[in-house]
Amino acid sequence: MKLLVALLAAASAFAQIRLLSNFAKAPLVTFRIVFTTGAAADPPGKPGLAALTAHLLSDGGTRTLTYRQVEDALFPMAGSVAVQVDKEMTAFSGVTHVDNLAAYFKLLRARLVEPGFREEDFTRVKENLINAIRSSLRNNDEELAKEVLYENIFHGTPYGDYNLGTVESLEKLTLDDVKSFYQSQYSQTNLFLAIAGGYPAGFPEQMKKDFRSLPEGAGFRPRSKLAPMINVSRVVIVEKPTRSAAISIGFPMITTRNVADYPALLVANSYLGQHRVSYGLLYQQMREARGLNYGDYSYIEYFPNGGQRMEPPPNLARHQQIFQIWVRPVEPQNAHFAVRMAMYELDKLIREGIPQDGFERARDFVSRYVNFLTRTENARLGYSIDSIWYGIGPYAEMLHNALPKVTREDVNAAIRRNLRTNRLVITVVANHAEDLKRQLASDEPSPITYNSPKPESVTKEDKAIEKWPLHLKAEDITIVPADKVP
Amino acid sequence: MDAVIGKLSALACCAALALGASPGKVFPYAYTQEDLPNGLRLVVVPTGFPNIVATYIVVQAGSRNEVEPGHTGFAHLFEHLMFKGTEKFPQAKYTNALQVMGAASNAYTTADYTCYYTVVSKQDLPTVMEMEADRFQNLKVSQPEFKTESLAVLGEYNKNSSNPMVKLDEVVNQTAFERSTYRHTTMGFLKDIQDMPNQYDYALQFFDRYYRPEYTTILVVGDVKAAAVRALATRFWGSWKRGSYKAEIPQEGSQTEPRTAQVEWPTPTLPAVDIAYKGPAYTDTAKDTAALEALAFLAFSPISDLYQRLVVTEQKAAALYASAPEQVDPALFEIVVRPQRAADLDYVRDQVYEAVKTFREKPVDPTLLDTVRKHLRYGLEIQMQSSDAIAGILARYVALRRTPETLNRLYDQLSALTPEDIRAAADRYLTDDNRTTVTLVGAKPQPATAEAK
Repeated sequence: MKLLVALLAAASAFAQIRLLSNFAKAPLVTFRIVFTTGAAADPPGKPGLAALTAHLLSDGGTRTLTYRQVEDALFPMAGSVAVQVDKEMTAFSGVTHVDNLAAYFKLLRARLVEPGFREEDFTRVKENLINAIRSSLRNNDEELAKEVLYENIFHGTPYGDYNLGTVESLEKLTLDDVKSFYQSQYSQTNLFLAIAGGYPAGFPEQMKKDFRSLPEGAGFRPRSKLAPMINVSRVVIVEKPTRSAAISIGFPMITTRNVADYPALLVANSYLGQHRVSYGLLYQQMREARGLNYGDYSYIEYFPNGGQRMEPPPNLARHQQIFQIWVRPVEPQNAHFAVRMAMYELDKLIREGIPQDGFERARDFVSRYVNFLTRTENARLGYSIDSIWYGIGPYAEMLHNALPKVTREDVNAAIRRNLRTNRLVITVVANHAEDLKRQLASDEPSPITYNSPKPESVTKEDKAIEKWPLHLKAEDITIVPADKVP
Repeated sequence: MDAVIGKLSALACCAALALGASPGKVFPYAYTQEDLPNGLRLVVVPTGFPNIVATYIVVQAGSRNEVEPGHTGFAHLFEHLMFKGTEKFPQAKYTNALQVMGAASNAYTTADYTCYYTVVSKQDLPTVMEMEADRFQNLKVSQPEFKTESLAVLGEYNKNSSNPMVKLDEVVNQTAFERSTYRHTTMGFLKDIQDMPNQYDYALQFFDRYYRPEYTTILVVGDVKAAAVRALATRFWGSWKRGSYKAEIPQEGSQTEPRTAQVEWPTPTLPAVDIAYKGPAYTDTAKDTAALEALAFLAFSPISDLYQRLVVTEQKAAALYASAPEQVDPALFEIVVRPQRAADLDYVRDQVYEAVKTFREKPVDPTLLDTVRKHLRYGLEIQMQSSDAIAGILARYVALRRTPETLNRLYDQLSALTPEDIRAAADRYLTDDNRTTVTLVGAKPQPATAEAK
């Protein structure tokens, strides 16, 4: 099932639409249509414009059909157009039964190429995005902590705003802003068309022709800019009435999929905190051994909505990533200890390196789990687009080639080059922020008590953890009310 | 008992019934289904998707089975405890084995069932079958491990607790039900979760009652052959002892007047009204479940007039949706509407009441009903993109009737519905006396300022 990547001949007068097709004898046809533009292209002062534009396309009417007409036509096919907006990519996707292929594609194409841009669709979709910040994000402590961390790390760069923007900026955006963003960014050169499944012969080539009415060239794009240096660790406490404390910790990192350290770092991260499985060290130590919370994980790539999904979605490719530890909500009295414990484990990994057995298991896991991650047509198309964007080979193949050669020493060297316990940002969503600020700034011991006897190995380590120096100063700890972020 | 069930024994292992995918049936895969002599049921579905095998083990015990007061949340707690290991596969050995397989492995609990899943490459299926059989029969949890795990459950409650819709759901169930165990959510009441560390013996009793072959169905879906899976099942699960416990699940009495409640949320949130009617227990031998399923779409989905008016034209509501009950005991038909402003709560609620009244009085347009049928059928097919997705769909239906045929039967009922069936179901269940209305309102937002960092 080799994916076919057909690039139009450079000699042709046309701009290059990149087409990926993967025929399979199947009753379904999957589309993934990605524009290489996103929140990083939001004009100054207009964060949220890329997101608003994309959502208006995926959830609006077309030039000839009202929103209701489009929805009425999609409904019997159980069709929809999903959208995901990140910094560098805006991905539209959908699946249809082959019975409905022509009708579905016609609507999908019309939404992307001939949008209706009606005022009533604009106000509805804009209100939805404002609610997504005001009501959904601010009432999801874990996601809020993560997004505040990202904002804080990338502040002042094109990655510095939440993908949906801010309530204030969204309120000011106009339909003309959307039209002008669409005109400049939704171009053939920015476009990946990807299709897989049981389509008839010639369908992908026709699809490419059908997107030729888009403008050829790309509009203004800001230069990517590295995150500012973090000179000293800092803390942002987002204060709100809540039962527990949600914690995220991280710093910017230049290692992405096209950097030599990536496969080794992927192994290191899997050992430390593989997402939503019980294999990671943080999970084992913080949740399983101590019952601190529901789970503890780490990341070397942006992974939104981890509470809702088990696998990372594709098409979140970025020029710069962050390393991040996600500590799920802890009882407020354990917040200080939990921050220390995450740092303690990270520090131990950097100082002592990955143990041989842990290395072997994590490497085995990563090299086989990639088959699971790429098991659906939709995922295969998404990962292929990402690989082209990064300029690497097919993702699973790349890992299958690289991982057998990765040694424990490579992993330890990648850990030392990429990870650190100083010059980072800690975000906590919690109540009684002043108390927490005082504890963090004082570096006073934060002993923990348990409801059951613990083995000596645990209590002995706890003695070190409860005093683990965070070296935070009061002036580097900011308290922000939840309704002021993002 | 179901007619399609074959009995499996070591001597007569060919009694399994192979069910071909028949034209017109909504579930497109041929599968085999058979019972071991101990009552364990095995369903094998070769899907044609290469390499991967999804093993989903469905135990027909969920929060519905928590019949004793003070012990809500135990089905879910038990799901956590199942990862604590056995003598043969202590926790670390079990976890390490899954890790080197690159397994996607987890579990979830609902009101009606608990499901344990492991998705691996096909060559690892024998190990998975061995390890799963071992923990279902020989689980060993020490008291300190139990106490620590109960804190992870509290952590799970905590991470859900910042979501106002979770609170709304809790209050709807608690207001609508008096005797039914659906009165509590699957997470359980907070006071019971906080008391869990003291309930070690009850947890062991829960295991002893429900983790038995007659409550369990194993779904093996993917790149597999039935005969090989059957041999593994006989080898590893054959000696599991049948139990004898049957829970007396209290049945809800009839409601005689409308009920209301309100949730006041301490931070700003989009308001919500949840309008819940007591519906029937799941059935695929009568039309009620299918009729309410279709009604949810006809009356409250984007193709409905109400949705178009409230969400699209007037834009007074940000969202409107409904869900029909598909549960073992009588459960709720819920309509949720989220007005943009709290001032419109009464208006949107009354609009829902009005729409309900119309559907009780007038049969729907047969063309629209046909559209909904197509939507449901294609919607199901579109979800079947991987072996684990197929297994996840089947788990829901196997939890109800222990066979994938459940899905076909429900869709057969959908195919046979008439507009009058929909009206009759609305008129029977969506009555004022049968209704619970709960509103959610948040704190007033602070005026926005320019400083956001």
